[in-house]
Amino acid sequence: MMEIIQSKHWVEWLITICKFGFAFIPVIFILLLIPLERRGAGFIQDRQGPNRSYFKIPYFGRIRLFGWVQDACDGLKLFFKEIYSPSGVNKFIFSIAPAIPFAIVLISPCVIPWFAPMVFTMGDEVIRISGQTVDSEVGILLLFGLSSLSAFGAVLAGWASKSKYSLLGGLRTSAMTISYEVCLGLSIMGLLLLVGSFRIDEIIAWQEANVWGIVAQPVAFFCFLIAMIAETGRAPFDVAEGEPELVAGFHTEYGAMQFGLFYMGEYSHIGINSILVACLFLGGYSVPFVTTETIQSNIGISLAVLCGIFVVAILAFLHLLYRYARWYKKSAASNKQVILREYSLYKILGWAAVVVFAAAGVASALFFHPEFTVIDGQPVYGIGVALGTALIHILVLLVKAIFFCWIWIWVRWTLPRFRYDHVMNLGWKVILNIALINLVVTALIAKLLGGI
Amino acid sequence: MVRQIKQKPMNWIERLYIFEAFRGLWTTLKHALRGLLRYETLPTVPYPEIKPEISRTYRAKHRLMLRPDGTPRCVACGMCATACPAQCIFLEAAPSEDGRIEKRVLRFDIDHLVCVFCGLCVEACPVDALRMDTCDTSYVFRKREDFVTPMYQLMSWDPKDYPQDDLQSQMAPGGTKNKQALDAWGLKVN
Repeated sequence: MMEIIQSKHWVEWLITICKFGFAFIPVIFILLLIPLERRGAGFIQDRQGPNRSYFKIPYFGRIRLFGWVQDACDGLKLFFKEIYSPSGVNKFIFSIAPAIPFAIVLISPCVIPWFAPMVFTMGDEVIRISGQTVDSEVGILLLFGLSSLSAFGAVLAGWASKSKYSLLGGLRTSAMTISYEVCLGLSIMGLLLLVGSFRIDEIIAWQEANVWGIVAQPVAFFCFLIAMIAETGRAPFDVAEGEPELVAGFHTEYGAMQFGLFYMGEYSHIGINSILVACLFLGGYSVPFVTTETIQSNIGISLAVLCGIFVVAILAFLHLLYRYARWYKKSAASNKQVILREYSLYKILGWAAVVVFAAAGVASALFFHPEFTVIDGQPVYGIGVALGTALIHILVLLVKAIFFCWIWIWVRWTLPRFRYDHVMNLGWKVILNIALINLVVTALIAKLLGGI
Repeated sequence: MVRQIKQKPMNWIERLYIFEAFRGLWTTLKHALRGLLRYETLPTVPYPEIKPEISRTYRAKHRLMLRPDGTPRCVACGMCATACPAQCIFLEAAPSEDGRIEKRVLRFDIDHLVCVFCGLCVEACPVDALRMDTCDTSYVFRKREDFVTPMYQLMSWDPKDYPQDDLQSQMAPGGTKNKQALDAWGLKVN
């Protein structure tokens, strides 16, 4: 036991344990996705979306956080409702089913690399930490296997509910998951052929060295995205819970937090799938046009650019805030004082953040010039540079993933639901064939040009 | 007459669906960006805090027109109560002290829970004593009885809330200060 512990430096142990925290990133995505979905839907339909829920802060007033409090409202409401089940259901399966999709989501991010492998010197030792929690050779296959397990939740729920609607919904979910799993696997085969590995970190390293997957395999990207949307069971592929036909599909008989678990499982599934698409086709953690070596050798400037981006984003936010506050001051609203008081808080925080980030950026550009030692012809830096690079990489990956989350929502509120036979036709007759042709063409071109 | 609407058949680009889907996505993106970047131009209003514009011609809560001396213009003829299809107007009459008018009104209640806001009472009134131009559309009470609006509430309106260029909407002729009202109306009598 002691030998295992002493085989690694304590910093390595610490970072390895901290990496388990990444399992919760898809769950944190729920907090982002609820307001993004509800207010995004509102904006798309020319509404304002839910913006009225508020926290009351003593001696200050109410803060609405632009509708983010709605997370807490939705969650609390579901959490404190009574859990009940219809008579005659299979109690065990009925109560275990909602937990399955949610539990899968906690496991599946284990193979996703959140940053380039950290290499740094600590004292005399050179420490190397990989970006994913589980350093597995099968990589993406493990992820596909785990995410297709989440269909079990829907199938078991449909089976156990003892309701025709639920059963039909569960049937449709299983049929759709099986169909689109095939398309999902086949559409990325071209990319895997070019990379020559199942490991996601090697796929990202290939994209960093050559071009992004979306440029190398645009057809595969579209097939993959469509199959991904179908696999999460969201519109326009949500035939499993189509309201006009099946009430609510497999979760018809569920209420309270059991329904909430399905809901959260779906949202965090979107989160994990967005991260996966970003990893496979948008270069994952890699910063466009900049290699990891460049970031590490100019870490001070890189962090300064990051701070600069933060400053610009906050200034843009403050601009919108000032403009809206000016309009609100002129309007005849009766709660003018409350809202403007809340906005003044944001203005203070925003300007403080601008000052802090600007100062941090200037300081890091001027004073952060780390020492390095050359090992095997490669410069190796200290832990500060490694952590700074990892921070930039995680943020870049999250930004790409959030962009894909928006695509999920955007597609849902634009396209009408497909009929069930249309979904099957699209899956088996169109996307599968396109993916196969794409694979063959990719293989031919790769053989002719690259001679793999 | 039966009008036949010919549906234009889709051409092959439209039948491919994918390009039309992108067109739809572009439309929704424009709307989403409008909400995000031009939030104040959204057509919806945050209702209880910001009230929507209501036209003067909208049939809202009633009011009783007043003479310059503060008495209601109503002559208690009962035509509004007769015209009312919902039968929500209750009035009592008394002999008038003014020699020119036969009766004056003692009690004038409108039950706004029963009222259908058809405006027939306003049309029926021979002396233009009843109007529905208060623009007051939302009135909420705890008890049913509170919705029965008595005369003093129908009379308690502020002339400043009504169009200043339309003096007929602010006071009615009659009563002890009749001359003042007629001056305002532009009806000089010798």
